[in-house]
Amino acid sequence: MKNPFWDFRSVPAQRREIPLDRIVRAREETLDRIVQGYLQLVEEEVRDLVWLAEESKVERAYNAAVRSVGGLEYDADDIDEFCALLDSSSKIPYLISGPAGIYISALVNRAEDDRIVLCPKDYERSFHFLGYKLPEGKTLVLQGDVGDFTGAGLFGGCLLVEGSVGNWCGAGMMKGEIRVAGDAGQNTGEWMRGGEIHVDGTIQGVGTKFYGNTGYRVLFGGKIYQKGKLLVSRALVKGADQVSKGQP
Amino acid sequence: MRKDRDALLREVWARVREDHLFPELPPPEWTDEGERVALEIKDKKISLSRPFVERMSEHMPEDEVVEGLLDHAISHHLSCPWDFRTHMKLYAEAKQTLKEPGLAQLATGYFMDVVADTYAMRRKESPLPRLYRYFERDEVDEAIHALYQRIWGVDLGIERHERIARRLSRIPYLDRRRWTASIRRFSKLLHALLVKEEEQEGANDENPMGNHDLQQYSAQEVESGLKDLARDAASPTEFKEIVEDFEEEILEATDPREEGMGLGSGRSFDADVLYYMKLAENYSLPVRTMPSRNSGALYPHHHLPWEIGKPYHDIDPWTSFGKIMPGITQTWKRREGELRGEEEETPDCLIMIDSSGSMPNPKRHLSYAVLGAACAAEAYLRRDARVAVYNFSDAHVGGRRSLPYTDRRVDIYRTLCHYFGGGTRLQIEDIEALQAGGAPDIFLITDMQITNLTALIELFNARENRVTAVHIGDNDSVRTFRRSMAPRKNVSVFAVEEKQSIPAIVLGKVKEYLYS
Amino acid sequence: MTQDTNGALRETVHAIHRYIGENLYFSRPDLEIRGKKFNAALLLSLLTGLRQGKALIIGEPGLGKTTSAEYICSLLYGLPLGTVWASEVSGHPEQTEEKIIGRPDLGRLNQGEEVVVWSHFVLLPAKIVDEINRLPETKQSMILDGVDRGNWEYLNDAVINSEYCLFATANYQDGGTHTIIAPLIDRFDVMVESKHPGPNLAFHIGMGGSNGTGLRNEAMETELHRVLNQRIPYKDRMDQVEELSNRFGEAVERELGVRTLSRPDRETIRSGMNEIPLDVDTNAFLRLVLAELSFCSHYGQRRFHEGCAEGCHFTSYLCNTVRNCISNRFPSSTRALSQALAWFMGDKQVGLEHVKAILPFTLAHRIQWKEETLARREKESRRDPLPIYMAREAVREMHRRYIEQADRLKSALAIACRISDGEPLEPVEGDHPIYWEIRRDLGEEVLDS
Repeated sequence: MKNPFWDFRSVPAQRREIPLDRIVRAREETLDRIVQGYLQLVEEEVRDLVWLAEESKVERAYNAAVRSVGGLEYDADDIDEFCALLDSSSKIPYLISGPAGIYISALVNRAEDDRIVLCPKDYERSFHFLGYKLPEGKTLVLQGDVGDFTGAGLFGGCLLVEGSVGNWCGAGMMKGEIRVAGDAGQNTGEWMRGGEIHVDGTIQGVGTKFYGNTGYRVLFGGKIYQKGKLLVSRALVKGADQVSKGQP
Repeated sequence: MRKDRDALLREVWARVREDHLFPELPPPEWTDEGERVALEIKDKKISLSRPFVERMSEHMPEDEVVEGLLDHAISHHLSCPWDFRTHMKLYAEAKQTLKEPGLAQLATGYFMDVVADTYAMRRKESPLPRLYRYFERDEVDEAIHALYQRIWGVDLGIERHERIARRLSRIPYLDRRRWTASIRRFSKLLHALLVKEEEQEGANDENPMGNHDLQQYSAQEVESGLKDLARDAASPTEFKEIVEDFEEEILEATDPREEGMGLGSGRSFDADVLYYMKLAENYSLPVRTMPSRNSGALYPHHHLPWEIGKPYHDIDPWTSFGKIMPGITQTWKRREGELRGEEEETPDCLIMIDSSGSMPNPKRHLSYAVLGAACAAEAYLRRDARVAVYNFSDAHVGGRRSLPYTDRRVDIYRTLCHYFGGGTRLQIEDIEALQAGGAPDIFLITDMQITNLTALIELFNARENRVTAVHIGDNDSVRTFRRSMAPRKNVSVFAVEEKQSIPAIVLGKVKEYLYS
Repeated sequence: MTQDTNGALRETVHAIHRYIGENLYFSRPDLEIRGKKFNAALLLSLLTGLRQGKALIIGEPGLGKTTSAEYICSLLYGLPLGTVWASEVSGHPEQTEEKIIGRPDLGRLNQGEEVVVWSHFVLLPAKIVDEINRLPETKQSMILDGVDRGNWEYLNDAVINSEYCLFATANYQDGGTHTIIAPLIDRFDVMVESKHPGPNLAFHIGMGGSNGTGLRNEAMETELHRVLNQRIPYKDRMDQVEELSNRFGEAVERELGVRTLSRPDRETIRSGMNEIPLDVDTNAFLRLVLAELSFCSHYGQRRFHEGCAEGCHFTSYLCNTVRNCISNRFPSSTRALSQALAWFMGDKQVGLEHVKAILPFTLAHRIQWKEETLARREKESRRDPLPIYMAREAVREMHRRYIEQADRLKSALAIACRISDGEPLEPVEGDHPIYWEIRRDLGEEVLDS
């Protein structure tokens, strides 16, 4: 049959381009790859249909996330847009707060930018584990309220939260600094080994509290400040009375 | 000099129009107004400010100034906002992000400019960048020009706003399908600068490239845009949120004599009425008129060649030239005639609408009852019939509103949109009073949870009016009503569960007997 | 033929157009092409006459539908007005094949010979059917072939017109009219409305300001009548008609100062028009138009008896508002008339402006809109009858869609060309039906299953 498109044989197949086309194309490709990495992680992590925030599981998920983002070239804006994408879920069929936060943390930790600003206040959903293992030399600013385990395992980075944090903020952090402009939830700084947590609002609870005869709060190191005042600074705190008066 | 300018405009216009593949726009003209504003678009007509062009032509050739301005104006028409509806939708998204109408309008304007200009730059070698280099600019303009530097690959002499420009540059401006998400992100990124601009400039918010008011659209475009907007809105509230911010402009953009807009006397603005009016325009319900019928008599219809063996009695001697000869001889083929009755006048219609507590409040949620009734009213009005409305809840205790037969759309819609809440009880005498001595068509829309349903059934059984009864949802009362009305050939019952069911309603559908 | 010859002929055609507009058919301009204003009915009829096309002229009774066609036939084909009148077929229910096409020669029939006496309507190249919609459907079928190809048959004889054009007039539907059958209406290249010229021009018409008496020539009419009634072969008769036409043309030029066209002139014009190519944008735009008017992702193509599938994605294109599938005669009418317009305007290529001006008239009678679409728009303020208005709006919409994606579409077509030639490339994807159709033509199964 005759080629029905013959009239267009000498029409250039390439359209006129402006830099925007290249920028948008690159962004799409990067975002696609980031999304693919996330979906792969979720697929692996939710095999059992339940995702529990156990240390080994978190560690495994984080390592997988780091491997996944290892070969990618992206910047702070890509992370920001990925978060928006996760939130709107137009491209992403399911969101699980734990793995999502771990994946975002892996992206943040591996990014070239030293300072990254994310805007949780624009998101309808809340992510856990933001700032997980944030390394030295990096600043992560979270504008808005965030979920649980924020800054968990912090590794020398500086985490600034312009809002409130959920439970287990700074859990198991090694070094670095977390500054929370709002309130903090329960178990703040549990298993903390170093670094500082500053909370400008109230803290619902520090470490792990066992009600009963003894009442333990477990911190292996580091300092927790509330409204500028040092609240806890010992490696191991025993007895509820050790915590400043007036605490929840 | 003046003549030269006119010739220049004509010449540049011809060129630019061709570059943009001949958009349907009237030729532009000069205006002596506007020192600071280069462009004005009113009802698609582009006006270029002569003083502005003169001032700019100190920096660059005058034809380039004109070309750049025309590129900008045409691109608005061809790409963004494209039409009134898109404009409103972009605004709605911006407002959702920025919360404040003033900021949302600013953001929408900037976004539309970026899309239109970028469209022009992608389409052709436009002198727009050269033009922008000499523009006076405020903080937001600088950020936008920094963005242009990145996405067009030009130098506009901006060294600030690197970060915001980088972030803005990632938005796919030329992808229309993603404009909703794009304008949200755009507004978010510019939020702080917009707040600053609004605080600083106050009244002086003139955009050198013209403001994006609704005057650029024709009255018809605004009308049809509102129709689309009503269709796409998830609820009356969503529709109201958008159009109320533009009340004055919508009134201005539409024909002041146009009463059909729902903008009643005194040109007030009732967004609920407007919503249902525009939404109803998206549906057209047919009203049955007299069908054609066969006359019963046979008459000669057309000729057929006669063949040997065929009877003689229908031979046409004239066209057969007196010959009985195959191939020459013609016979008449007879056919039964079809008579078309004179088009029956459409009777007036009494709309009975249930606005009791079991029905949704039409001002808050999309009410299928009001929409269905509005569609019915439109269908009758379109055929020059009049409509009466009986809006009822608990009629015995005053929960009722009657509108006598009228063709005033605004009054009809106002009565339809009224919401009582409360119980559901009809006052049969009210309905009798609205029969007005004749036999109007009756259109009833309700969930059928009427306390005195039996009285209504009796009424319908006693009368010969064509009744279209529409029930929302399904329940025991619906089943009782359907059962009772089954033998009645003049009563048609329809169910409406969703917007899409509305076009299925045929008004005044009467079963066979009336015309058989 | 040389450019000069075509240029001179163009001047002649302009003069004819001007002469009719200024002296015979007073009308308001309602069509603007590149700043020049025209009356669509007059311009389109003239181009149809030049192009050997078929025009359906609709309008209220007494608004010059037939007379405009008569003047055009007279001046383009060099026929005195009386001859044109005599060859007209008027539509009424009692019309017979014998009156329209031909009858047996009765004298010869009595001697046992079958010889056909052809009607002047069949013989002459310029044909007019007045009030075609008063012909019952079966009689409309009778002229289908003739209208389509100039091929007329009666008994065992046939005449094939080597050159012909046809104008049919129709009143709006009323009690005495029939619907023009779909196959017949599709055969018309264009549909135009002969509009009321407004009170001021109408006053002049009433005062005798326009009449075609200058185009009457009784002596020539008698002579032509004699020639047409001769029992000699069709070609010989037409040669004699041609000779008389030329003489009539000379008389008209002498008396009215306007030249008529000879047969070689018309042939030169037609070949000049045929040589005008469509530019790339026009080519791509027409493909987009065809896609919108024929596409259905669910049923493979539009069909009159099939609606749209529930939840169809393509609701914002015209395929969602029309019932029928556009015919293959449509692109050919559009090409022919657009070339004629480009020729008339002295342009070397058919561009978007030409095709945009022509399209509403080649589409108006060929689109059957869904009832709900019509009901929604019938009350809109407009200057044209509903079918032409709807077609104009449709063209405007499609044109905007084209402008928006012109580069992408041209690139898609260019890539498709290379794929068809065997290059391993990926077709360009897009939302518009044309991209789906391109992929279909490249062998992909892209439609709903």
